[in-house]
Amino acid sequence: MARRRIGATLLLAPAGLWLLAMLVLPLVVVLVFSFGERGPAGGYAPAFTLANFLNLGSRGAAFRNTLVLAPLGTLACLLIAYPLAYVLAMRVGERWRTVLLVLVIVPFWTSILIRTYAWIFLLGGQGIPKLLGWLGLGQPMLINTPFSVLVGIVYGYLPLMVFPIYVSLERLDKRLLEAADDLGAPPWRSFWQITLPLSLPGVATGCLLVFILLMGEFLIPAMLGGGKVFFVGNALVDLFLQSRNWAFGSAVAMALVVVMLVTVTVYMRLMRRWGGGRDDVALM
Amino acid sequence: MTDRDDHISRQRFMEELRRYRKGSVSRRHFLGVTGLGLATVALGQGLGPRRAWAQEGIGDRVAIATWPNYHDPADFDAFTQATGAYVDVSVFGSNEEMLAKLQAGGSGWDVFVPTNYTITTYVSEDIIEPLDLAKIPNYDPASFDPRFAEAGTVDGKVYAVSKNWGTTGYAVNTTHAGDRQMTTWKDFWDRTKEDFSGRTMVHDYQLTTIGNALKYFGYSFNSVDPKELADAEKLLLEVKPHLFAISSDYQPSMRPGDAWMSMCWTGDASQLHRDIPEIAYVLGREGGEIWSDFYAVPKDAPHREAGYALINFLLDPQVNAREALFHGYPVADKRVNALLPPEVLNDPILYPAAELLAPLEFGAAVTLTDPNRAELMARFKSA
Amino acid sequence: MQQSPLQDMDAPIAEFRAVTKRFGAVVAAEGLDLAIRRGEFLSFLGPSGCGKTTALRMLAGFEEPSEGEVLLDGQRVDGLPAHRRPVNMVFQHYALFPHMGVADNIAYGLRQRRPRPSGAEIARAVDRALETVRLEGYGGRRIWELSGGQQQRVALARAIVNEPKLLLLDEPMAALDRKLRRDMQIELQGLQRSLGITFVLVTHDQEEALSMSDRIVIMRGGRIVQVGSPRDLYDAPRDRYVADFVGKSNFFPGRIEGADGAEARLAVAGGQVIAGRPRRAFSEGQAAVASIRPEQVALLRPGQGVGLPVRVLTGIFLGEHTEYLVRHEDLGEFLAHVPRQAEAAQGRFAPGDEAIAAWPEGAALILGDD
Repeated sequence: MARRRIGATLLLAPAGLWLLAMLVLPLVVVLVFSFGERGPAGGYAPAFTLANFLNLGSRGAAFRNTLVLAPLGTLACLLIAYPLAYVLAMRVGERWRTVLLVLVIVPFWTSILIRTYAWIFLLGGQGIPKLLGWLGLGQPMLINTPFSVLVGIVYGYLPLMVFPIYVSLERLDKRLLEAADDLGAPPWRSFWQITLPLSLPGVATGCLLVFILLMGEFLIPAMLGGGKVFFVGNALVDLFLQSRNWAFGSAVAMALVVVMLVTVTVYMRLMRRWGGGRDDVALM
Repeated sequence: MTDRDDHISRQRFMEELRRYRKGSVSRRHFLGVTGLGLATVALGQGLGPRRAWAQEGIGDRVAIATWPNYHDPADFDAFTQATGAYVDVSVFGSNEEMLAKLQAGGSGWDVFVPTNYTITTYVSEDIIEPLDLAKIPNYDPASFDPRFAEAGTVDGKVYAVSKNWGTTGYAVNTTHAGDRQMTTWKDFWDRTKEDFSGRTMVHDYQLTTIGNALKYFGYSFNSVDPKELADAEKLLLEVKPHLFAISSDYQPSMRPGDAWMSMCWTGDASQLHRDIPEIAYVLGREGGEIWSDFYAVPKDAPHREAGYALINFLLDPQVNAREALFHGYPVADKRVNALLPPEVLNDPILYPAAELLAPLEFGAAVTLTDPNRAELMARFKSA
Repeated sequence: MQQSPLQDMDAPIAEFRAVTKRFGAVVAAEGLDLAIRRGEFLSFLGPSGCGKTTALRMLAGFEEPSEGEVLLDGQRVDGLPAHRRPVNMVFQHYALFPHMGVADNIAYGLRQRRPRPSGAEIARAVDRALETVRLEGYGGRRIWELSGGQQQRVALARAIVNEPKLLLLDEPMAALDRKLRRDMQIELQGLQRSLGITFVLVTHDQEEALSMSDRIVIMRGGRIVQVGSPRDLYDAPRDRYVADFVGKSNFFPGRIEGADGAEARLAVAGGQVIAGRPRRAFSEGQAAVASIRPEQVALLRPGQGVGLPVRVLTGIFLGEHTEYLVRHEDLGEFLAHVPRQAEAAQGRFAPGDEAIAAWPEGAALILGDD
C-alpha cells in the first residue's frame, strides 16, 4: 500500500510542480501585488492597501462588456458550431469529413492576428457594407462595433466549439438513433430526445472552453472594436503595458479570476442539473 | 495606390511568417512587410553586401525593438549579409510598452528605439548605460542638429544617438472636409463632433491623445495640472461616441476610407499622402508635439557587440538616407540630408514651415510617467 | 399502420416478395421469398454475411429493398420509415438510451404515440412490461447499474411494451455468457408463447435456432437455402450446407452409381457403396455426398455384427452419449455417438480399440455436394 502511494506521488510530482510553478506562484504574486501600489515610474511598489479593489468600479464598463459579450459570443459560437459539427459527424461521408475537418482547422494554421486583420477589411467600408450598399440595403457601419467584435469572436473561436461537439456526436452510438427510429420517433424528435442530450458533454466542453478564453480576450475587441469595445482583457493590457499600474492591474486580474470562478461554478451547477446529475455533462 | 512593387516574394513572405510565429516580429511589422495590412512597402532590392560594417565575431543574431513602418527590411538583410548576424525585429505601439518590457527585465533586446522624453527615465531606472561611442564610428556629433540629438545626452554622457525626428499632427481626407479648411486642433475636435462624426481616430497613446486634447484649450501639451487634465478628460469623453476608433494603427482604416481623419505621425502622413494625395497633414496652429527618436542599448543586452554594429550600420549616411526614403521621417544628420533629393527636403510634411514648428513642444519625461494621465487615458478608453 | 378489419388469421403477418438488396456492387440479399406466419417464432440462421441481418433490417425499416416488396399484415411497407412501422427490435448490444432510466427507456416507444397516452397509462404499461421480463421494481434504476442480462431484459421490455406485430431480435444473446444465454432462450420462448407476438430472430448459433424456433430460415450468400421446422431441417436437409449447419453430420463424397426416386447408390472411396434416400434428382456419374448423422452410427465390438471395420481414435464423454472419432481405412475419419445404455451393455471403447461401425438402412441421405 505504502509503496503504491509513493509511486503515485512520484508520478504526480512533475504535474504538481508544474502547476505550482506556473499557476499557483504567479497567482500568489498577483494577489500580493493587488494590495500594493504603483511605483513612481510605474510598476509595483510594496504597500498594503485596499485602494485598488475600491477602484474596481472604474473598470465597471469593461466587466459589463465582457460579461455580456463573452456569454453572447459563446452562444453565437454554439448556434453556428452545432449544426456544422452535426453535419460533419452525422451527414457527411468518411472522405469528405476529413476534408471538411481540415477546412475547419486550416484557419488555425495562421495567427489569429492575421485572420482577424482580414475582418477589419471585410467589415470595413470597402467590404460587406459596400456589398450591402450595392444590394440597396444601406451601408451600415459594422466595424468597431460590438457586432464586429462578435463576428470576430465567432470566427476565431468556432473550431474550439466545433471539435468537442463533433467528437461527442461522432462517439454517439448510432444504433441509439436506430432504436429511437424503431420505437416510433421521427428524426427531429430523436434529435431532441437522443442526439442533443447525448452530445451535451461536448456542448458543455465547448462552451466552457470558449467562455473561459473569451473572458480573457483582448485582441479581437482591440482590433475589431477599434479600442471602443473594451474587455477586461484590454483593461489589463492597458494597466500593465500602458499606465504600468501593476498593483491596480493585479486587482483587476484577481477580480476577473473571481468572476470567472463564480460564473463557471454557476454554469457547472446548471449543467449538472440539466444533465440529470451526470457528472460527465458538467465536467467534460 | 502607386505602381511600385507592393508585393513581396513568396519566399520572403514565408520567412516573415516564420519570424512572426516565433514572436520576434509583431503584427504591425509583419503586416507592414507582407502588405497584408495594405501598408505599402517598397523593398530596396538589389542591395548587395558592400563592406563589413563591424568587426568579426559579433555573433549570429541581434534583436531590435522599434516602431511600425520605421525600417526598410532590405537594410536589415544587408546587415545580415555583411555581418552574419540575423536581425530579430519586435515592433511596439507605445513607449510605455517598451518601458514596461524593459522594466520587467529579460527583454532580450540589444537595441531599442526610445523617444526623447523617455531617456531620463531609462537612465534613472538604470535600464540603459552610456554608449561606447568608439564602437559607433558613423556617429558624428557635429553633423547632428542638436535640437533633435541633445535629449540623448544626460548629465554630459551620451546614452542614445539620434535616429529620426518628426511631428504629431493629424491626417485628414480633404474630400470630406468641404470648403472649411482645417488648420487647428480645435478644428480636429470640433468637427469630429460634427461632420466627421464616426470617422475620426485618436491614438491609443495617452501622451498624444491627452496632449492634443489639452491643445484644444490652449494648455501645454505636457500639462499635468489636475484642472487642465479634467478639461481634457471632459472633451475626450464628449468626443468618444463620435470616434471611429482609438488606435495607433490608423493607416489600415485611413486607406480604404473607413476613417477620414486621424492623429498622425510624420512618416505615416507622408506614406498616406504619397499614395492618396487627397489625404493632407495638418499641424495644429496652437502647437502640439515635436519629437525625436534615438537608438539605445539596454544594460542587459545579450548581444551587445552586435547591437553596436547594427546602430553603426544604420547610422551610415548611405543606409540612413535609404531608410528615410523608405519611412518618410526626417533625419537630424546633415550628411544624410545632403544625400536626399530636393523634393524630399522641400516636402512640407517632413519639414513643416518655421511658423508651424515654432509652437511645438517636446514631450516631457513627466508627461509619460504621470499616473494621473495614464489613469485618465484608461478611464477614457473603458468609458 | 391500422389493423385490417378483415384480418385473416391464416394470412401471413409479414412477407418478402422477390426482395433483393444491393449495397453498391455488393448483393446482400437476393430473390427473397418468404411468408412469416402469424404468431410463430422464426429464426434466420446462417454465418455472418449471409444476408440474415439485412433481411431483418428490411423488416424493421432500416434498409429499403432494391427490388421486390415487403409486406406487413397484408400491406406494403417498403418505403415506410422505421418509425412508422408497427414492429420493434431488440438490438444486438441492446442500444438502451444511456441518459434515461430504466422506466424512461421502456416508456420511450409509448411516448412517441400520437395521441400520447396519459402518464398513468404509460406507468401501468411500463410496470406490466417490467413484470413480464421479471424486473419488478427496477424502473428507477440507471442503465449502467444493470448487469448484461438485466439490460437485455430492459431492451426486451422496451420492445414488447409497444405490442408490435413483429418482434425482431438481432443476435440478442450474443453478449451473454453461456449459462445466461440458455436461461434467456427458454425465457424468450415462453414469452413468445404467452404474448402471442410473432418473433423473428437472427442468429448464427444453430443450437439457439434449433431450440427456440418454430421454423428456421437457412441463408447462404444472400439467398434462402431452406425453410422448415428444426426437425425438418435436421432430418431432411436440402443439401450438404444445411446438413452441415444444422447439427453434426458425417459426409462421404462419391459418385452416383444408380438412382431412382426412392433410393440412390453412391460409390465412395475404396469401392464402398452407400445407399440412401436422395434429396433431389441425380443422374449417374454425378458427384454427390452421403450424409449420416453421428447418432445413427452404432459401434459394435468386432464379431458382434456386420459393418465397417474401424479403429477408435478418441472418445469424448458428453453426458447422455459419448462421441467417438473413428477411422476407416477407405472412408477416413467420422463420428459415432454411442448412447449411455449401449455403452453400459458393451463397455466403453478405448483409443486404439478395433470396432465395427454400422448404420441402419435408410439412415444415409444422398445430397448435392455444393
